[in-house]
Amino acid sequence: MTFLFWILATLSVIGGLGMLLSRKAVHSALWLALTMMCLAVLYVAQSAVFLGTVQVIVYTGAVMMLFLFVLMLIGVSAADSLRESIRGQRPVAVLVAVALGATLIAAVGNALDFSVGLQAANAEYGGNVQGLAALMFGRYLIAFEATAALLITAALGATILAHRERLFPRQDQRTRSVERFRSGVHPGQRPSPGVYARHNAVDVPALLPDGSAVPDSIPGPLRARGTVREIDATATEEVLDRLVGGAASDTGGER
Amino acid sequence: MSPDAYLSLASILFAIGAAGVLLRRNAIIAFMSIELMLNAANLAFVTAARAWGNLDGQVVAFFVMVVAAAEVVVGLAIIMTIFRSRQSTSVDETSLLRW
Amino acid sequence: MTPISVVDIDYVALAPVIIVLVAAVIGVLLEAFLPEAARRSGQLLLTGSAVALAFLTVLIVAASRPFGPIAGGSLMLDGPGLFLQGLILLTSGTAILIMADRRVDPGGDAFAGRVSTLPGGEEEREVSRRGLMQTEVWPLMLFCIGGLLLFVTSNDLLTLFIALEILSLPLYLLVGMARRRRLLSQEAALKYFLMGALASAILLFGSALAYAYAGTIEFAGIAERISERTTANTLVIAAVALILVGLLFKIGAVPFGQWVPDVYQGAPTPVTGFMAAAVKVAAVGALLRVLYVPFGGMRWEWEPVLWIVASLTMLIGSLVALAQSDIKRMLAYSSIANAGFILIGVAAADQVGLSSVLFYLLAYSVATLAAFGIVTMVRVPTGEATSLEQWAGIGRRSPLLATAFSLILLSFAGIPLTAGFIAKFGVFTAAITAGALPLVIVGIVASAIAAALYVRIIVRMYFTDPVSASAGVASPSPLTVAGVGLGVALTVILGVFPQPVLNLVEQTSIFVR
Repeated sequence: MTFLFWILATLSVIGGLGMLLSRKAVHSALWLALTMMCLAVLYVAQSAVFLGTVQVIVYTGAVMMLFLFVLMLIGVSAADSLRESIRGQRPVAVLVAVALGATLIAAVGNALDFSVGLQAANAEYGGNVQGLAALMFGRYLIAFEATAALLITAALGATILAHRERLFPRQDQRTRSVERFRSGVHPGQRPSPGVYARHNAVDVPALLPDGSAVPDSIPGPLRARGTVREIDATATEEVLDRLVGGAASDTGGER
Repeated sequence: MSPDAYLSLASILFAIGAAGVLLRRNAIIAFMSIELMLNAANLAFVTAARAWGNLDGQVVAFFVMVVAAAEVVVGLAIIMTIFRSRQSTSVDETSLLRW
Repeated sequence: MTPISVVDIDYVALAPVIIVLVAAVIGVLLEAFLPEAARRSGQLLLTGSAVALAFLTVLIVAASRPFGPIAGGSLMLDGPGLFLQGLILLTSGTAILIMADRRVDPGGDAFAGRVSTLPGGEEEREVSRRGLMQTEVWPLMLFCIGGLLLFVTSNDLLTLFIALEILSLPLYLLVGMARRRRLLSQEAALKYFLMGALASAILLFGSALAYAYAGTIEFAGIAERISERTTANTLVIAAVALILVGLLFKIGAVPFGQWVPDVYQGAPTPVTGFMAAAVKVAAVGALLRVLYVPFGGMRWEWEPVLWIVASLTMLIGSLVALAQSDIKRMLAYSSIANAGFILIGVAAADQVGLSSVLFYLLAYSVATLAAFGIVTMVRVPTGEATSLEQWAGIGRRSPLLATAFSLILLSFAGIPLTAGFIAKFGVFTAAITAGALPLVIVGIVASAIAAALYVRIIVRMYFTDPVSASAGVASPSPLTVAGVGLGVALTVILGVFPQPVLNLVEQTSIFVR
């Protein structure tokens, strides 16, 4: 038993220090999970079997998973900055913590040198779980019932902070398409430049059947820069001629 | 193992947790340190329950676990809210409030 | 094998707590089943009537029930507990009146329409365009009040811890829900949460050590074990120290109250008022019970610590308040300083001290509520005018409001004919009787510093020319007028005719052990 204690105590302190010193929050969470597992075994070793189980289920199973969930949502790569924000704060904090630990150990170190053991208490109601139940639903009934308020508050609070209700109607494909046509902007693809033109280049506008230019067929940046090439009238004439009046075999052969 | 050793272990874990709150600037890690402090208190309760031979300490430890679960829900929801509006969980970047 | 025994519960004695918590649960159900339009009025009706009914029930219980442990020993029914419950319900009711106002802010009440929307986003604009309101604040308030009622009557360390959490969790949420300056509010919530959780953890570890020392978590059992001791035991000293630190965190005493200014500044102003009044009342009440009942036998150990903490709290609170340019931060430091004066009475550690603290809590909490209620009314277009510069010349534009605020400041300063004078006089007398003369001298110095501060603000309100960015005074709804009016009226009445209340606190100020 002594051997087990020293192993687990060492491991749980290592876990605590690991949590304290890890740069990444995820590593801290995993170290803390190790400490909590060790504590679960220490509970069982002190005849608190039920609590050991609950520790594993609630703490490592639920609480630490919740921490990891939030860390994943926030982004695992988010590392803590190791820069001191207040000058000299870190040594003072270490000093305070070490002093606190030393004082506490000095205070509790040889204060409780007896151990009655739980055999009698457990046997009274027929077992550890029954004994806990007798207290929980008897002497501590008010505390048990008041805990309900706590759980409702937690659920309500998480809902308020995290639940976003739909303020705008849902956009499905139909509404989006209706909106696109309503907005008055050209709904489909723009005509490509240079169609029917002699220069098959992007800076020459496409022509409508009546021979006028389509400004939209030129990419926006070129229009903004003003480097759109004009179509000279003769060329238009020539194209029209070929299209309307010329031989059918010539229409595709301009290039 | 005598209860003293267990109480000393609880004290060490409690001090490590306190150091975490003081040292770490990431709100989530600071919060994890507080969870470690609660665990240390639980260990002390379980130890004292065995030493005194009554189950009150174990009942308290059980309630603490329930309370901690509720507290974690609220705390992480607040941290998520802050992260959504600021994209950071560092306690230092709470620039709007003077420290 | 022993069968599980059924605990005998006196439901009448427990009725105030039951009414408030059941109303909170009904409030959550209303959120689910009432249509959006009817929720606010439904919640207000429920919350208001629950608090009023609970207050009446406290009176009935006080008149009809024998004092002693109730609910299997988890709670204690006695004079101070009932007085504090009544005071908590009175201040909570006043805070609810101020909180329910939606006229001073053109956008709605003091809370964000939907807390889940991003600050400054498209959705937030849509929410305020539709005038939506987050009505879940009312069940949260009720849960918090229920926790406060349990906190001041708890009779063992477990109930104390759970009540502390029941009152804290809703507050963490409420602090982060302000309508204006939402980033500031959310950061305040995070800060309050981390500090509050730390305080709970420290309190809990102290409780664990106390249990390790006494083998029981019941206050009476711990007191008995302490009275049996022959030598100083380090375990119980560590336990008292940690429990004391945890509770002083909640009260906001120096050096554990650094979170107070930031949180008070960031929280929605009606919530700040509620925290400064009702929550402080409950925290002091719990501190009184813990120090007097289980650890009363260790008076010589904890008294010097309280002396130091009280002196530091009074002096630093008053001095730093002088340097503030923001009205909410100024009131926050002023509430820290007031916590110091309360601790003088706590440190007196006898019946006179206890009754002086109860009176101080009454005088301080009604005045504080009214002060924060007035802050909600003084506004610029973007929200509350929290900068002190903007308060210049308020006295000429709105003489009534400025008079009310001046009265409250005079009460904080402890000028005769206000409740604050009687209260300060009470704690000083108690301290002198208990032999704490140095503490009284520090208290008088701190009062003088604070008086200079309050006079400066009064001068600014009346005798300074308004600057261009000066604030206007929004016309409040009858709710706020009623809340602030009640606070101001009590401040004056308690200052002029304190005797009935003094008699009451004297009669009630005995803890049943």
